[in-house]
Amino acid sequence: MVKIAKEKLPVLLQAWAAGAMVFVPQEREGTRVFLPWNGEGKLALGEENTLEPPKDLFFPRTETMYRYKVQGQDAEITEVPSFEDKMILVGVRSCDARSFALMDDVFLTKGYVDEFYRRRRENTRVVALACTEAAPTCFCTAFGIDPGRAEGVDVQMRPLDDGYLLEAVTEAGQELLNQAGSLLEEAGKASPPGAALPSLQVDVGGVTEKLQQMFEHPYWTEVSRKCLGCGACTYLCPTCHCFDIQSENLGNTGYKFRCWDSCMFSEYTRMAGGHNPRPSKKERLRNRFLHKLQYFPERYGKFACVGCGRCLDRCPVNVDITRVIREVKEVTL
Amino acid sequence: MAVEARVNPLVPMEGRIVKIIEETPDVKTFHVTTEKGKPFTPMPGQLAMLSLFEVGEAMFSITSQGPEHLEIAIKRVGMLTEALHEAEPGQTVGIRGPYGNGFPLDMFYGKDILFIAGGIGLAPVRSLINYCIEHREKFGHLWIIYGARSPADLCFKQDLFENWPRVENCRVDVTVDKGDEGWKGHEGFVPAFVEKLNPSPEGKVAVTCGPPIMIKFVLQSLEKLGFRDDQIVTTLEMRMKCGIGKCGRCNLGSRYVCLDGPVFTLAQLKEMPNEY
Amino acid sequence: MSRIQERMRARARELLAQGTVQMVIGWEKGTFWYLSPPVFITDAGECDRLVWDEFCANNLAKYLLDYKHTEDKIALFVKGCDARGVVRLLQDNQIEREKVYLIGIKCPGMKDGRLADALGEERRHEVPLVAKCRFCTHPEPVIFDELLGEDEGAAARDAAAAAEGRFAEVEKVEAMSPDERYTFWTSAYDRCLRCYACRNVCPACNCRECIFDRSQSGWCGKQMNRGENMFFAITRAMHVAGRCIECGECERVCPEGIPIMTLNKKIIKDLNELFGEYEAGIDLEDLPPLGRYKLDDPDEFH
Ligand SMILES: Cc1cc2nc3c(=O)[nH]c(=O)nc-3n(C[C@H](O)[C@H](O)[C@H](O)COP(=O)(O)OP(=O)(O)OC[C@H]3O[C@@H](n4cnc5c(N)ncnc54)[C@H](O)[C@@H]3O)c2cc1C
Ligand code: SF4
Ligand code: SF4
Ligand code: FES
Repeated sequence: MVKIAKEKLPVLLQAWAAGAMVFVPQEREGTRVFLPWNGEGKLALGEENTLEPPKDLFFPRTETMYRYKVQGQDAEITEVPSFEDKMILVGVRSCDARSFALMDDVFLTKGYVDEFYRRRRENTRVVALACTEAAPTCFCTAFGIDPGRAEGVDVQMRPLDDGYLLEAVTEAGQELLNQAGSLLEEAGKASPPGAALPSLQVDVGGVTEKLQQMFEHPYWTEVSRKCLGCGACTYLCPTCHCFDIQSENLGNTGYKFRCWDSCMFSEYTRMAGGHNPRPSKKERLRNRFLHKLQYFPERYGKFACVGCGRCLDRCPVNVDITRVIREVKEVTL
Repeated sequence: MAVEARVNPLVPMEGRIVKIIEETPDVKTFHVTTEKGKPFTPMPGQLAMLSLFEVGEAMFSITSQGPEHLEIAIKRVGMLTEALHEAEPGQTVGIRGPYGNGFPLDMFYGKDILFIAGGIGLAPVRSLINYCIEHREKFGHLWIIYGARSPADLCFKQDLFENWPRVENCRVDVTVDKGDEGWKGHEGFVPAFVEKLNPSPEGKVAVTCGPPIMIKFVLQSLEKLGFRDDQIVTTLEMRMKCGIGKCGRCNLGSRYVCLDGPVFTLAQLKEMPNEY
Repeated sequence: MSRIQERMRARARELLAQGTVQMVIGWEKGTFWYLSPPVFITDAGECDRLVWDEFCANNLAKYLLDYKHTEDKIALFVKGCDARGVVRLLQDNQIEREKVYLIGIKCPGMKDGRLADALGEERRHEVPLVAKCRFCTHPEPVIFDELLGEDEGAAARDAAAAAEGRFAEVEKVEAMSPDERYTFWTSAYDRCLRCYACRNVCPACNCRECIFDRSQSGWCGKQMNRGENMFFAITRAMHVAGRCIECGECERVCPEGIPIMTLNKKIIKDLNELFGEYEAGIDLEDLPPLGRYKLDDPDEFH
């Protein structure tokens, strides 16, 4: 096992940044977000997880799909941007690492591969950071996630008092460590602090089966009363992946782009002619929870929540998914 | 365009409208082809994403196909469909597909088939009717019941009044909500017409497509006539963007209508959340 | 506060039991000690869920729109800002006065839940006022059918309000050079997620259908980039110009901490200078400066 001293980490990031775009949590206006490392930012690896999930690095908020030119009756696609950059994400927590696996299920399986996502995903190495302290809103262990060890990553970091233990998990991860060269030292018998213990405990056992019988239940009316119908929960959720496709015209050229969308919005399902199968916030909030806790498990065999607690942290009216899980299990059918 | 575009399912092929047929005052059928010939070869009931780059993209049923082209019948309802109705032959379009499950042909082999459609809803059903006609020996009796608001609103008139009635062992019944001076046929709504014609469920499979309100009442009529849920097939419409089960918006429970639909048996529909 | 909470529960119980109202909207205890989100009570037996503590910051007025097409009469607990929200909705002809029953509470100023978390429950009394309450000019309800109890914390609030100054943040931005100002606003709105929490919580944002829910119309784009974000920011701010009741909810709910109230207050300050002092949502009869028409208007109307 090797380790790196705290003050040398920026040097390592700099070294990695020579061959790739390095994204790492940094301070921004009192919160933490993944930002490209340019040697100047203030690293924010010690505290709670980032405000925004890192999903936009694989699935940008807005992404050009292709450019076109229109001339009278003629039109042609002039360019399909192809993402060639290499990326290294440093400081990814176990919950977010799981979210990458869930996104992979959506974008890479079931008959079609989303090329835009695939390119970014395949060009990216992930360096995880073990959590030693949980935020009050964390409940990753509910989904069998180990805050001390992330799934599907290339390197696992663990914080020490004066630095980080680094363990290569994949060959690509080993290459990253090789690049670090003399910055690393033998860890000896340095033992990292134990993994965090999330304070919010929730038992998801049986919740899918219960929800399967609850589509028409009056519970959804009650739970949605206070919902504002905003998209904060979906946009901050590392597993929400809905998008819209639209075009932007500039004279006789233009481009098709896709951008994040939210099932919490009225426009999302509104059809030509005005019919909307999810006319009110009741149906929309129900869809959000069923998607996370019933539909996704039915389709992909996994919960689409990783217990990061971002929605709970930022929801303006305290719609709390852990409470929903508990209440769903308690309501009488 | 580069090879990349071809393998990226979200990037359309460049196609061209080569022929436009005016079906009704607000429905036109478009024949679409590409430089390399037919864009792809869909099965009955499958879908295509058709676009005018600068306007928009939407999902349509492929109502028929020839060796070199696809046929898509489009009702004018909004921005894209409006722009398409203004297009003339030679117009470049984007097209991608084929999408969706299509009709479950296995379910129809050797059976009598009852087709019940309203308005533009005949478009997807027509792909199946034509398939049955082309493979006539594999199917039993074909019975087409179709309705529209007025005689002018009847789509595919040539099929309805010339081609299909000539097919062996095939019956066509047409109704309109309200006739005009020249109309000698039946007047009345489709569901009532179906009940009046009183088809027996024996050995039959029923396929229905049309406006949601028509489907709702036709399903009730079929139930009255004794059709079981697994004898009834219908197609669903949801708002769609990606067409490949990624963008999330067409979900009905854990299924995506673009990928796992749009064709479902009534038995399947009853298992799914009532949210369409 | 606990005395008020007792009376709150008792009144809610009476109103529901007598059938005077069909629903009571107030606050309940949330997931953590520093959260008191909205609650909707229809059963007199459930009234003990109601709480009144220093975290009842949510403005409840907007919820009345959810029930405007029902026959129900609704009782709403109103602090100063909730009451002004109700005036906003009444002036905008969104709701009928007879269908709401307003129980006023003189507000001592609410505390900042997001900061409370870091301090811990042992230091509960040290939690600072939430930004929206620091410059509140009307902590006591401006409209009500009955008033619960006495003001309990005016002193603390008055001191805070005086220290801060209603337009202090605006003046800071006004003092910037144009370039600095551009950077200030673009870097703020570059963070905007376009989640529309600010719009959805706002009592002045009461259009039946918002143009931002009609992206297909071509008026606004759905791309999350600087241009579209600024278009949203400015459109939202201008749309509530003269109608913003300064409840500060938009800024409080924003997950990205964008200083939305600085923008709203800049417009209020300008309106005051242009059309004379005006505070929205105080007096039912006093229409917003941009929402009234006078025959003797000093400006010609072309
Ligand atoms: C599986 C499936 C199969 C389908 N098959 C067919 C088919 O075979 N044939 C067919 O015709 N259709 C079919 N459809 C329906 C077709 O997809 C829709 O009619 C199409 O999406 C309409 O697109 P549009 O851009 O013309 O309408 P839109 O412009 O998207 O919307 C139409 C509605 O939006 C409103 N609107 C339009 N413009 C504006 C504006 N500027 N501002 C505000 N509101 C506006 C109008 O009120 C109108 O009613 C199918 C749909 C699905 C899902
Ligand atoms: S639903 Fe909430 S807690 Fe679960 S992954 Fe999404 S944001 Fe995190
Ligand atoms: S609440 Fe904040 S992030 Fe959401 S739309 Fe408003 S300004 Fe943007
Ligand atoms: S249209 Fe995108 S998932 Fe069906």
